[in-house]
Amino acid sequence: MNLRGLLGRFVLYSLLVIVTTIVCFPLIWALSTSLKPKSEIFAWPPTLWPNEWTLENYSALFAGKQAYFQGGSASAGAVPPSAFFLDWFMNSVIVAVGTTAISTIVSTLAAYSLTRFRFPGQRVVPYLALVGYMVPSIIFVFPMFLVMADLSLTDTLLSLVLGYVCITLPFCMWLMWAFFRGVPVEIEEAALVDGASRLRVFVEIVLPTAWPGIVAAAIFTLIVSWNDYLFGRVFMNSMENLPLTVGVMHFFDGTHVDWGLMMASSVLMTVPMAVLFALLQRHLVAGFGAGAVKG
Amino acid sequence: MEVRLERLSKSFGANAVLKALDLTFPERKFITLLGPSGCGKTTLLRLISGLERASSGSIHFGSERVDHLAPADRNIAMVFQSYALYPTMDVAANIGYGLKVRGVPTSERVDKVGAVAKVLEIAHLLARKPRALSGGQRQRVALGRAMVRKPDIFLMDEPLSNLDAKLRATMRGELKRFHLDLQTTSIYVTHDQLEAMTMSDLVAVMNEGVVQQFATPEEVYDRPVNLFVAGFIGSPPMNFCDVIVTEQAGRAALVLAGRSFPLPDHFNLSRLEEGRRLVLGIRPQDVVLAERDDPHAIPGSVWMVELIGSERLVEVEVAPKVRVCAEVKAEVRAVLDSPAAVAFNPAKIHLFDPKTGLALPRSDGPL
Repeated sequence: MNLRGLLGRFVLYSLLVIVTTIVCFPLIWALSTSLKPKSEIFAWPPTLWPNEWTLENYSALFAGKQAYFQGGSASAGAVPPSAFFLDWFMNSVIVAVGTTAISTIVSTLAAYSLTRFRFPGQRVVPYLALVGYMVPSIIFVFPMFLVMADLSLTDTLLSLVLGYVCITLPFCMWLMWAFFRGVPVEIEEAALVDGASRLRVFVEIVLPTAWPGIVAAAIFTLIVSWNDYLFGRVFMNSMENLPLTVGVMHFFDGTHVDWGLMMASSVLMTVPMAVLFALLQRHLVAGFGAGAVKG
Repeated sequence: MEVRLERLSKSFGANAVLKALDLTFPERKFITLLGPSGCGKTTLLRLISGLERASSGSIHFGSERVDHLAPADRNIAMVFQSYALYPTMDVAANIGYGLKVRGVPTSERVDKVGAVAKVLEIAHLLARKPRALSGGQRQRVALGRAMVRKPDIFLMDEPLSNLDAKLRATMRGELKRFHLDLQTTSIYVTHDQLEAMTMSDLVAVMNEGVVQQFATPEEVYDRPVNLFVAGFIGSPPMNFCDVIVTEQAGRAALVLAGRSFPLPDHFNLSRLEEGRRLVLGIRPQDVVLAERDDPHAIPGSVWMVELIGSERLVEVEVAPKVRVCAEVKAEVRAVLDSPAAVAFNPAKIHLFDPKTGLALPRSDGPL
């Protein structure tokens, strides 16, 4: 490699390092803070590498309610917010998984029918759906709250699932629609001629071909439903029903912020998504049907 | 297996794509549906495959009526223009999918796929995905998928149109060879007359949803039944000129651009038809450049000269806007705008009625 090439590489890698640092710094800072004792969190000068390591923030989150009731004197009202962490975490998992399952399945089926069957409005629906997605969700949240109240669903996880389905489904459907349009109908016809039933064609030919699209739609839905704050803030009120995003705000009680717990929660919130990304990223780029049709 | 179509029609909304076709494709023959795009040939193939339902009429395979059956129940195999390989499956799974769907045990399937792959010379590609194959290889996999099931009828929708010219020529020969070996009734859709002429036992020339002529390639070429077939088949296309029937020395003759020449022997026109207008058709291969003083030659001037390899096309304008193309040896020199004359091989002259477009009856009968 000549000098010019080397120099180019050096500049490129330097830029990459800078950008990565900027992107990762908040995460690293959160991780660092979560592993410091309270005394060190506000120490000056701040330490990125803790002088003293501790897992006390994490153990407080995982202690659960039991630990606080043991003394016998604490009333339910005195239960610290951190006691609900595991509830919040499970709520977020249930809501995210539920939303993802519904949105992905429904959008896949809807998009398939939009690309394969002829009916009035077939061309308009995907674009309308996209327009729906472009409207900020804050516009939807209060009317939806009223609907949920009418249905007596407020403060239930189901209301969150339904709310997130409403905001993620249109985009997922549009995404899958664009995807299915790229899946040539001939491969389905070929399978029909080969003797497969319609259902079998869908399961064995169409779904595997559309897999990267399905994964993309699922990841999108997971991120939205896992990270959302607005719906959880508006729809939910009991401490034990809150999703993580809303729950961790209770570590900030107006007078002081428990940064240790806040950062430990943030780290724990990030881990599932990071792991999932690491696992699924391969599928996102996995060789899609390029080459199956024509040259 | 014989394929019989009775009053078969197909419309998409108000658009009638096929109009009451009555056709019988004899068994074990290689039959080509030939026509320009939009003539309904692919629609006909899809009706036979069951991917499309007929608006009216019936389709019979042998003695069985099949137009109510799903594609899966017709025991047909189809090769698509785009190959339509399953992108997520490797070559072996692609070829074996039809067998798998039909519940053929794995070991038997592997044997059959292996045998077909060997014939098609793709045995070394069985573990590859379609995207890792070249166009020609994909073509073979698509063929293998069709062949492995031993179908009653082979349907092919322009299977060579995505290949480059050289590969197309090779595959043409191979397809014909496979057909001779397998002896399965094959129905082949193409807009390429060269494919139709070289591969087929029978050609159905289609236009605007109607079969214009259904005959052997020789007959379609030498005895076109109407102006459409005459103009569609043959390259470069047949010359057409308006002529008038007249009488010359007690015999019927034709007048073109002021010159008359005897009516060829294979036409019987009574002298009563004097003055009748006809369309004369002659292929460029049957036109020669003649001396200008030849009494039967038609004089004009050279309008265009094109070299097409071993031949040269010389277009001679014999009257304003009336040009006759002659295909001559490349060595023959012709200078633009220089005087020239053309003469026709009388045995190869075709005559058509300008009103109906139909060929005039011939006295020498069919080929």
